[in-house]
Amino acid sequence: MNSADQDTQIVALLTEHQLAIRLYVQSLLPGDHSAHDVAQQANATLWKKREDFEVGTNFKAWAFSVARYEVLNHRKKKARESRRLTFSDEMEDFIAAELPQRVDDLEERQIALRGCMQKLKQTDRELIQHRYLHRTSLAEYAAQIGRTAGSLKVSLFRLRSRLQKCIVHQLNLASSKPGGQQA
Amino acid sequence: MNSEERSQLIDALIEGDISEADFVRLEAEMLVDAEVRQEYYDRVQVDTLIDVETREQSAGVDSEKIVAFPRRTLWLRTTGIAALLAILATVASVNWFVSRHQNIIATNEVEPTASGYGVVAEHLDAKWASDSASIQRGEILPQGPLVLDAGIVQIDLFSGVALVVEGSANFEILSPMDVRVDSGKIRARVPEQARGFRIHTAAGEVVDLGTEFALDVTPDHADVHVIDGEIEWHPTDADMQHMSKGEALRASNDTATTSPLSHDPSRFIGHEELENTLIRGRSERRQEWLTHSAQLANDPRLLLYYPMSQKGGWNRQLVDLSPHAINGTIVRANRSADRWESENAALDFTAAGSRVRVEIPGEHRSMTLYCWARIDSLDRWYNSLFLTDGHELNEPHWQILKDGRLFFSVKKNDPQVSKGERDKHIYYSPKFWTPAQAGQWFQIATTYDIDARNVTHYINGEIVSREAIAEKWLVETVTIGAASIGNWSEPRYKSADPSFAVRNLNGAIDEFAIFGEALNAEEIRELYEIGKP
Repeated sequence: MNSADQDTQIVALLTEHQLAIRLYVQSLLPGDHSAHDVAQQANATLWKKREDFEVGTNFKAWAFSVARYEVLNHRKKKARESRRLTFSDEMEDFIAAELPQRVDDLEERQIALRGCMQKLKQTDRELIQHRYLHRTSLAEYAAQIGRTAGSLKVSLFRLRSRLQKCIVHQLNLASSKPGGQQA
Repeated sequence: MNSEERSQLIDALIEGDISEADFVRLEAEMLVDAEVRQEYYDRVQVDTLIDVETREQSAGVDSEKIVAFPRRTLWLRTTGIAALLAILATVASVNWFVSRHQNIIATNEVEPTASGYGVVAEHLDAKWASDSASIQRGEILPQGPLVLDAGIVQIDLFSGVALVVEGSANFEILSPMDVRVDSGKIRARVPEQARGFRIHTAAGEVVDLGTEFALDVTPDHADVHVIDGEIEWHPTDADMQHMSKGEALRASNDTATTSPLSHDPSRFIGHEELENTLIRGRSERRQEWLTHSAQLANDPRLLLYYPMSQKGGWNRQLVDLSPHAINGTIVRANRSADRWESENAALDFTAAGSRVRVEIPGEHRSMTLYCWARIDSLDRWYNSLFLTDGHELNEPHWQILKDGRLFFSVKKNDPQVSKGERDKHIYYSPKFWTPAQAGQWFQIATTYDIDARNVTHYINGEIVSREAIAEKWLVETVTIGAASIGNWSEPRYKSADPSFAVRNLNGAIDEFAIFGEALNAEEIRELYEIGKP
């Protein structure tokens, strides 16, 4: 394979694994809003080191090991600014072993989620926008809309549960139900 | 820690809003309890997906209403790439990358292609040599040398040229505008837009100037007859000559000589003649099948039988010819030509919502699902042949996957999906359909045989796969109840939710049957032989 072909393949693999990489990083950095940037940094590193990857071998494993390395890097940098709670190595080993088994249907899940989110009430949608996009503090937002931060937390908790159920339901409906858990 | 508390802690962790003490407690539980870890993964997953989705939507990406599951959307990939590009902007050779990535979008999500220069428009008892395999009507001709042992084939090249080839013939389609003939009789009708079409032979080549001509090629010579219009004849070792309507010549391979020949187009089967013969032949075969079909209707094993060529055509009832008289109701589906090209004798399910509603009472054991179907495209994840409403215990589902595999299942359990349990085993066939077969008719049958403990898929009378039914997945009492042919009705239509799964078959069915027993391979084979168009 020439290097242009190899590059083409790498880009295709990178594209295919975007959600998986992102999810893996987020699971190692719960509650950390910079997971998106760390995942992008992992992309850049994967791209820089693409020569190291042998097409045909396990891209997912390679990508995840690079992503974990970027997570460590990120922690080192951030350690100077703030002290964050981090999982033990043992726990991270669990995640590294178990999470990759659960990432094969992420695109379907996201498509399902899109449908689910469209069914949300306007106020719920705004809460999600606020929490995921604008990232201003819950207390501030609560004050704006005349609620308490505590009640918004409960709302968010329920929203996520509902969306999670909805995704599973959609997947079942559209694929698993007549097709099995997956087809 | 009870499970509610646990869930709240997991959420607090995901929110970045957990105390150190709670964090330590939660991690301790996660380390010893796989279920807690699963819950954590589930919650992180939904959190991450919401985050990604919100970002993509705010990036101005159109979102579409997902009614069921359309194909994987392209934009997901493109925005993935866009995000990649944003970071890779810091990496060298971005320009190269950009041009590259456009290629990838172009090549990764390409429309399905089929390879070849023309299709078999018609054939009359065509026998292809084994290495050319069997090429059905409507099928794209493979590239490379073709050997037609016997019979007659009409080939429509994509340039618009229509060829009639009589076996035995050795030839190769080099492009839509070039054909090489080593031996055999070939007649070409060339429309104006395909002027310049060439046929190459050892003795020389014909260049068409908008006409109809015929060649009889042997290892020694080539006979050229101009039936209409004008051609150029380029002998291998001599000067070009013009030939006009009514002229003929014989060109020898070795001696570079040509001799006059009396013009005799009747030596070659013409396009109309072939067509008429075919129509007669099809109509005869259709008559034979109709006779047989009337006998088949008395088969006591039938649960229902719908030949779709019923008279009384336009009302929406489909009469069951089996003794059970389980009439179906046609919803939306349009009438179209059946596999013998007889008009209004099949049901086309392409229009969204198309289906035939049936209700089959009772409990059953083994069964055979049987149909003749024309598949135009497989653009849904699931393309229905026969699906029970919803998906309840003990119910069969029969459909075709997007990738061309046949799918059969009988639901065994009501599992907890979140725990990853499976509700049934799916019996897949190998891929039998590719876009090159669009528009062709197939006999499709699947037998669920409880006594022999296996599931067998048949295409055109041949077994394509057989799989044993494991004890774990065996359902001895199969129920059907309300069901749809050519689509899926899940029970939600009873609720106020107007969305529904899009699962109609992009194609047509002209004969559909369910037997309450597993037919054997010999019987399916016979049904194919009698029923093939």
